[in-house]
Amino acid sequence: MIRIDNVAVSYGTPPRPVLEAIDLRIEEGEFVCVLGQTGCGKSTLLRLVLGCEQPQTGRILVDGREHRQPDRTRGYVPQKYSLFPDKTVLDNITFGPEVSEFSLFGRLTPSFYRRRREFREEAFEYLRRTGLRKEDARKYPDQLSGGMQQRVAIAQALMTRPRILLMDEAFSALDPGTRKDMQRLIRELWRATGTTILFVTHNTQEALRLGTRVIVLAKESPDQGSRVMLDLSVPEPCHESDLPHLVHRLESVSEGTRPEVGQAPRFAGPFRISPAC
Amino acid sequence: MSAGFLLIHAKPGRTWTTLLSWTLFALGIALYFYVSQARHRDNPEDRVMPTVTQMARGMFDAALKPAEDDEAQAPATTFTQRFLGSMLWKDTKATSRRFFYSMLLLIPAVLLGLHMGLFPYVGAFFLRFVLFFDKIVALSLLPILFIAFGIDELAKIMLIVIGVTPTIILDTFNLTRAVPAEQTVKAFTLGAGDFDVAYRVVLKQIAPRVLNSIRLNLKAVMLFLFAGEMIASTDGLAYRIALLRRHMGMDVIIPYVLWVAMLLFLVDFGMRLLNRQLHPWFRES
Repeated sequence: MIRIDNVAVSYGTPPRPVLEAIDLRIEEGEFVCVLGQTGCGKSTLLRLVLGCEQPQTGRILVDGREHRQPDRTRGYVPQKYSLFPDKTVLDNITFGPEVSEFSLFGRLTPSFYRRRREFREEAFEYLRRTGLRKEDARKYPDQLSGGMQQRVAIAQALMTRPRILLMDEAFSALDPGTRKDMQRLIRELWRATGTTILFVTHNTQEALRLGTRVIVLAKESPDQGSRVMLDLSVPEPCHESDLPHLVHRLESVSEGTRPEVGQAPRFAGPFRISPAC
Repeated sequence: MSAGFLLIHAKPGRTWTTLLSWTLFALGIALYFYVSQARHRDNPEDRVMPTVTQMARGMFDAALKPAEDDEAQAPATTFTQRFLGSMLWKDTKATSRRFFYSMLLLIPAVLLGLHMGLFPYVGAFFLRFVLFFDKIVALSLLPILFIAFGIDELAKIMLIVIGVTPTIILDTFNLTRAVPAEQTVKAFTLGAGDFDVAYRVVLKQIAPRVLNSIRLNLKAVMLFLFAGEMIASTDGLAYRIALLRRHMGMDVIIPYVLWVAMLLFLVDFGMRLLNRQLHPWFRES
């Protein structure tokens, strides 16, 4: 579904490599967490898939096509500024279908108002599924807490039924309790909708709790771009008891410190391990 | 008073705050009366500082007596009719009309700024030129404008346009640039097109800030308007003030100045109310 072929990106003059030799295949229905330290290029990878940026070498195919700009096949939930501050919660959620079906002047036709009623009913359904109350629909994003805002942002993104959902540190600004609720919610929604999710995070525990696959990006040395250091498939959600062990192993890879003695050699390129959980 | 005289940490009560805020007004008015009376005692013919009665009479004439060139008309009877035929009303109407046209011309300026901020090609095409234009002292162009556009309305309105629109364009441009990139990306992923993003996402959320920036520039608009009216015009509030200067007509000039200040205050206040009404989500910070 998403094919990333030998992609490299660098910024600035003289060019400072951010990503190099990234090769990935992401299949339909996967929940992929991209894990890495700040500045390792994980958000860049997401922007490449979105189409906001183009790679200097290599190519990115989504559904067999290269994309020059973001469009509705790939939904997006950033860490903040995800909601339109001038629209109520309800209008934020119905924004997607409204702009997809009606042009700027299409809003002047009577059929727009008929369709909008249907969109609104659907929006209430999504509100319910993301755990929001009916009363919240009339509020403006500013009047909601951070967790509620992200719930609305998810509902907003799901309304257009994207096949791929890209989430950039979506829960990183939330307090731990809310964060756990949101993790449970997105996992449920992923199961129910079958959407392919690419979730960028710097939190190892979050990646292990959420993903069916965890990809660790890290640099071998400061003047090189990040590569895929670890590609871990997590067929079942990890047991809480196994988490600390795995977290430790993954963090040692992403921080570039030598793993404990007896483990896989340092930076042996992308490899697949089946965790013990 | 045991805490001593607090400075930054002082918490003046409501009465004190109100009292203090009006003190300078009271002092100014009192000083005027005192000096004006003293001058009139020396010279009953003094025209520099008219007394309140003189000003009231001057204003009464301006507001309720027919304007000079309308004297041939049938004498008005009711208060409203007399006011509508007066000099004050005629001047206010003429100035308001020019003000209104220049406000209308700010709309394309806002739209240009929006497009410059969003579409890189439009920005590349206009930005340098607008930045250059912004640095031109508009009043220094006045003679050129009068030569090029004649001394009609067009020259006066062009003066306002040249003086104020670059600021508004650049302000809108900066506000557009300040909208987080996440917003446009999000809109595109929801299926919006370029113009949906421009008008439904970006313009709508910068609108209250643009309106505030126009409010801040009201004074500049009035400045250029008055400059144009004082130099070449046959009506308008500033024309009247300039005309009466020749006759030392302070009894009308002073009330006119206050009248202009009040009108401008009302326009600003109206725009503030409008802003709050149109954008309930916007909280000024």
